[in-house]
Order: sequence, then C-alpha cells, then structure tokens
Amino acid sequence: MELVILENTKKDYISGEINVPALRGINLSINAGRFISFVGPSGSGKTTLLNLIGCLDKPTEGKVFVAGTEISRMNRKTSAKFRGDNIGFIFQNFNLIPVLTVYENVEYPLIMVQDVPLEKRKKRILDLLEKVGMISQKDKYPAQLSGGQKQRVAVARALVTDPKLVLADEPTANLDHDTAYKVIALMHNMKKEFNTTFIFATHDPKIVGEAEAIYTIEDGLITKMQENKQPGVN
Amino acid sequence: MKNIIKIAWRNLMRYTRRTLLTSSMIAVGVALVIIFSGVGSSFKNEIIGVITNSNVGDIQVHKKGYVGSIDNLPLDRAIPEEDFKKIELLLKNNPEIKAYSERIRFGAMASNFAQTTNMRLTAVYPEKESKACPNLVKRIKDGDSSPDTFVKPGSVVIPQNIASGMNLKVGGDIVLVATNKDGSVNGMTFKISGISENIMGPQGKDGYIHMDDARSLLRIENGEIIEIAIKLNNFDRLNKVFMNLKYYLLQIKEEKSADPVFEIHTWEDLVPFSTIAKIITLLIMVVRIVLFFIVLISILNVMMMSVYERIGEIGTIASIGTSPSKILMLFLTEGLFLGFISAIGGNIIGVVILKVISAAGFTFKFGDARTEFMLNPQIPTAEIMFAVLFVVIISVLASLQPALKASRMEPVEALRHV
Repeated sequence: MELVILENTKKDYISGEINVPALRGINLSINAGRFISFVGPSGSGKTTLLNLIGCLDKPTEGKVFVAGTEISRMNRKTSAKFRGDNIGFIFQNFNLIPVLTVYENVEYPLIMVQDVPLEKRKKRILDLLEKVGMISQKDKYPAQLSGGQKQRVAVARALVTDPKLVLADEPTANLDHDTAYKVIALMHNMKKEFNTTFIFATHDPKIVGEAEAIYTIEDGLITKMQENKQPGVN
Repeated sequence: MKNIIKIAWRNLMRYTRRTLLTSSMIAVGVALVIIFSGVGSSFKNEIIGVITNSNVGDIQVHKKGYVGSIDNLPLDRAIPEEDFKKIELLLKNNPEIKAYSERIRFGAMASNFAQTTNMRLTAVYPEKESKACPNLVKRIKDGDSSPDTFVKPGSVVIPQNIASGMNLKVGGDIVLVATNKDGSVNGMTFKISGISENIMGPQGKDGYIHMDDARSLLRIENGEIIEIAIKLNNFDRLNKVFMNLKYYLLQIKEEKSADPVFEIHTWEDLVPFSTIAKIITLLIMVVRIVLFFIVLISILNVMMMSVYERIGEIGTIASIGTSPSKILMLFLTEGLFLGFISAIGGNIIGVVILKVISAAGFTFKFGDARTEFMLNPQIPTAEIMFAVLFVVIISVLASLQPALKASRMEPVEALRHV
C-alpha cells in the first residue's frame, strides 16, 4: 500500500527577486512500513522534500499525498491536526522541550495534540521509554541528558502517537559515530516493532546502508533509487 | 488547560531572573496603587468625616436660590414654617435619615464693649444639632460641650479666632447686633458658654446660639428657618438618598411660577474641599494609568523576548501537531500568570505597608487647628480586586500580539531558527 505519493512536485524559494528552485519535479511513491533514506549533499533538497511530506510546507506545484490524503493545500489548523495524527518528527537538534522532563516530553503529543486518557498514555509512554532504553531517565530534564539520550527520547516522542510515518531530518548529525549507529538501530527496531514507515534524510554514507531503499537527491531531483537487499544493524 | 498552565508556569520559571524583575516592577506599581488608594481615601474620608460631622451635615436643604447667595447669608430666602413641616414629614418617614437639624444662619456684629468684629452665627436646637453633626461638640474645647446643652438660651459659643482676637473667655459677655430681613437692627447680650475650634469648611468659623435667641434677635415671629442639615444612617448611600430626597422635594412647587420651592445639595456642592477630594480621586486614577503602562510595557517586552527566544521551540511544537490556538493559549497563559502573580505580590506588599502606616499612627493637622487627623488607611478591598483584574486583563492584552505572532508562525520557518 502506498503511504507517500508525490506527483511532479516542485518547490521554489524566493530570495530577494531571485527564484531559487529547491525541488524541480519530484515523482515518488513510498509504501507503508518501509525504512527509507534520502541522501544527497547539502542544499540538494532533502530537507525541503521531508518538509513537504511532513505537511510542514506547501509545494509550489504538484501534489503530495500521505496516507491517502492530499496534504499540499491544507490550511494551518488542518495540517497541524494531520501531522499530530499521522506523522512523527525526529530533528537533527533533538528539539526536546527544555522545561519538560523526559516523561513529559514524550507525553506532550498525547495531551497537547491528541487527548489520550491518563492511564492509556501512561502505559504507552512507559512502554516506549522502556523500548528506547530511557525508562531510568524519565524524570530528568533534557539539559541533563547526552545527545544520544536526547535523540532516544525524540524517537519515543515521534512514536508515541502511533503515527503512520516518522520523518527524521539528519537525526545523527549531532551524534558521534557509535551513538549515531545506535540511534539508527533503534529507529530500525522501532520500525520493525510498530511497522511504522521511517524516512530519514542524511548525508552520512555510513548510516545510509541501514536503509531498505536509498533515494539520491541532487539539485532538486531524484537522480537514483537503490534498493538495499540487506539493510539493518547487527 | 491544566497542561497549558503547567507548561506556561515552567516557561516563566525558565527565565527566573527576568520573570522576577518584571514581576517586581509590576508588583511595585500595584503596591503603589494600593498604598496611594488606601492613604488617599483615608485622608479624604477623614476630612470629609470632620466636615460633615462637625458642621455641614451630609445633605442640606434650602429655599431655592439660597446657596447662590450664601456668602451674604440672606434672611429673605427662608423656608416658611408650613414648608418646613412638609420637609420634616418627608425626613421623618425616610428610614435612611438618621437625624436632621433646622438652622437659622445670619451675620452679626460681635462686641466686647471695647472691640467689634463681624461674626457668622448658626442658630440651632442643640439636641437636634448634636445628632445631625455629632462631632460639633468635640470642637468645643472650653466651656459646656454637652450635646444637649452646649448652647442654652442667652448663651453663645464663639469660634476660636474671635475669642483670641478679642481676648474673650468662657463666662464673659458679648453683644451681638444683627439686622433682620426687614432691615431693622437689634442687639442682645450673650454669655459665652463655649469656645469652638476652627475647622475647614464653610461653617468652620461660625458661632452658635440657641434657636429661640435667634428668633428674638432677628424678630422672627413665625417658625421659619434658613437651612436643614441632614445626617444619614449610611454615608455610602449618600447619592441614592440624595436623589430620592431631591425627587420628592422638587415636586413641591411655587403656586405662581410652578418652580421648585427648595434646593437640595450634598456636602460636595457646599464645601470647597470636595474639589480636593476630586483631585485625590484623579491622582489615584493617574497612578492607575501609570500602572497600566508599566504592566503593558513590561509584559509586552517579556513576552516578545520570550517568543523571539523560542522560535525554534514554537516550530517544534507546531510541527508535532500543536494547533495554533493552543500555541496562542500557551503564550497568553504565560502573560496572564506573570500579571496575576505580580498583582498578588503587589497587593500583599501594598496591604503590609498600609498595615504598617496604620500601626504607626501618623497624625497631621491643618493650620492652627488643634484637632489632629490620624492617618488610618483602610485596606481598599475594591481597589485590590480591581488591581488584580486590571493587571490580568492588561497582561493578557499585552501578551496578545506576541502570542498571535507565535501562533501564526509557519513551522518550517520557525524550525530553521533551531
């Protein structure tokens, strides 16, 4: 089943009086339950593509469908609801809310976006924190965690609403090599555990190999798609 | 909502120093309003109390046109006996009226056989006057200060300034010469029964004689009077009672012209201090306006800084799916909290300082008056409630622009600030 479809999607940015094309006609179809990587050099359009799929930005031309819904023309309120219900995000800088504890950060989408009853959300949060190995740190604040720990919490937060799709933009860019591998392994395990589709953008060739399919993006176009027969982290 | 409150509170505590500084500034502003209101109202009420309870009364009724020429104390604008009886009936049947006292006011020449001076006199029935102006007898520092007998027929209470100027003492004799409304002059000798302290107000330097003596001196053979001073059971209901009395009094009209026979005034219309009282009220308003700007600028500044510092965070919560309305609520709640805790803090400071002023027992007096006024500020409950409400509303309004800005941010642009 196709979870993400892009039809001739273009995105231009205006810089002063200059029109800068970021994506120049992307056609893409990603099935549910896959572990996908977008690779390419800086400025190639990876983040723009993730933003369009994540309903954070609108294409200049073309259509974007996620989970059967066209998201390219949604207003701010509808797109916020759509993201809250269907998409999880993992950021390069972790983006945890500094005034909330680990537990509360993971809890945030369940109370501020969805309205999940206390008992149900408590079980869900503790279960996820257990799976990402952060249960013992649940009462700590982000400032008290290492980069790897923060990203584990971010993974838990992205998955807590049981989204159909998780988007990760350079999730390992601020992590050392070992930690980066562990985070990618965690994401991979979570994908298997919850059958959630993961799409991550990276320019780190060492972790690209963990993806089931690798899309190479150059100058706003997908120039190569490569299936990986033996993905995963041992 | 509980979660929005929790996050808003923690965000405020995130920048503890800034929150405390802003909060302190607003709290000081609120405290100033409370102190100024408490002290100003205390001062105002103390003076009003002295004026109304010592000579003016809460309300006065006169023949139409009397107050316009009150400086001359005209005797030809008197209330005839039959009209006074109508008013008396009205006052006796009104449960809001505690007491009333009819008076004749006139000017006279006072002589101690060696010197002569002008003197304004109020003729009263002492027992009625003491009920309408209960503090009058407290002003009598020398002589008989009994409420029922402070002026007996044949005696006079003279004001302090005349006693000093003419070297008069209690027990001494004084001749009062007055012109009646027909223009004839009459004089009578009086025994000085008391010397009253001068106080502010239009009747603060009047002498007092018994009503029967005034009628003899002025050769008034009927029961006409010049004014009626009225004391209310509850001063706070002044305007309501005044309007009610005015309504009924203005129904009584001249037969020929159909104009109202009487005029009625509250103390405010009769006493120059009412202007000072209005200025005090105006100053309290000015302090409130200053507070308005302190709160507005402080909260606006803090909330704008807060939004600019947290653009990335706003992008994060928006991308997670937080609706624009919840982001708006989050920032509005922060501003509201900041204003609320500041207002509560300011109220506590203000009340404590008012208590200290009250406990210290500061006194003051005017001119050569011997009466000391004690500064005994009451806790202005209404002002406290108003301050909290006012600050909270201004805080929310000041937070509105930054909160709207936060809620309208495009998540993708906000995230670039991370």
